[in-house]
Amino acid sequence: MKSLPNYLQAQRKRLALSQEEVGFLLGLNGMNKGNKVCRDETFAREPSLLDALAYEVIYGRPVRELFAGLHHQAQQRVAERAKVLSFRKVRNADPRREQSIIQLAETASVNPINP
Amino acid sequence: MTQNKPVRILAIAPTARGFGYAVMEGSRRLVAFSNKSILKNKNERTLVWVEKFIRRYEPAVLVLPAVNAADTRRAKRIKQLHQRLVGLATKHKLKVKLITTTKVRERLLGQVKGNKQSQAEMLAGLFPIELAPRLPPKRKVWKSEDPRMDIFDAAGLAVAFWPK
Repeated sequence: MKSLPNYLQAQRKRLALSQEEVGFLLGLNGMNKGNKVCRDETFAREPSLLDALAYEVIYGRPVRELFAGLHHQAQQRVAERAKVLSFRKVRNADPRREQSIIQLAETASVNPINP
Repeated sequence: MTQNKPVRILAIAPTARGFGYAVMEGSRRLVAFSNKSILKNKNERTLVWVEKFIRRYEPAVLVLPAVNAADTRRAKRIKQLHQRLVGLATKHKLKVKLITTTKVRERLLGQVKGNKQSQAEMLAGLFPIELAPRLPPKRKVWKSEDPRMDIFDAAGLAVAFWPK
């Protein structure tokens, strides 16, 4: 099962907060603070790094868990690139480099975390 | 078609005033749930909303109440909506699971007899963080049903989908 891009709505409901309140905690300005939060929750917008970290603070869950789908997507892409990198020949390659690239390439087959 | 495999399901409970929905991932994880009140063009607008939810949550299975079952009596509009929801699921290549009222009661209460309030209380106990705050007070005989009960109808269908 593919994870959803994020689980922000479920976490917000867990804490019984409104979208407007979360918008205020994120430091959003203006009358429609809740709109941005709504767009994040319905996957219409990907929040900035600062907002993602603020979500982690608000909900007390790691970013990789809150944004499980995006995390999985990033993991897959890095693993694909690591595979390409593993074919690149480097003179006097450091064994630690080889090891880390192999590990990254192998993470592609690992299932995503389920928050 | 009850199963143990972790799949995402979308349960829709059409009601007289709109519909309730619940999204579950596995038998213990309630991802999203709410009710929508629709005043005009109920069937058309419900279909628009359900299609939106299908696109958003990408479920593998659409769980619906078995409106034509022997233990159920539903309005003509709801039956028409049900047919169109099945058509929508086919369009999006989703599996459809129909669950009877009796099966929901058996799954939640462990017996065929029981009322919606006791089902809702059972669900609030299963999901204390998510559903307990939405539990409506017991209905007085002279009052109509609380709109929040739609959420529990949908959540009941979603829970009944999974084996005990």
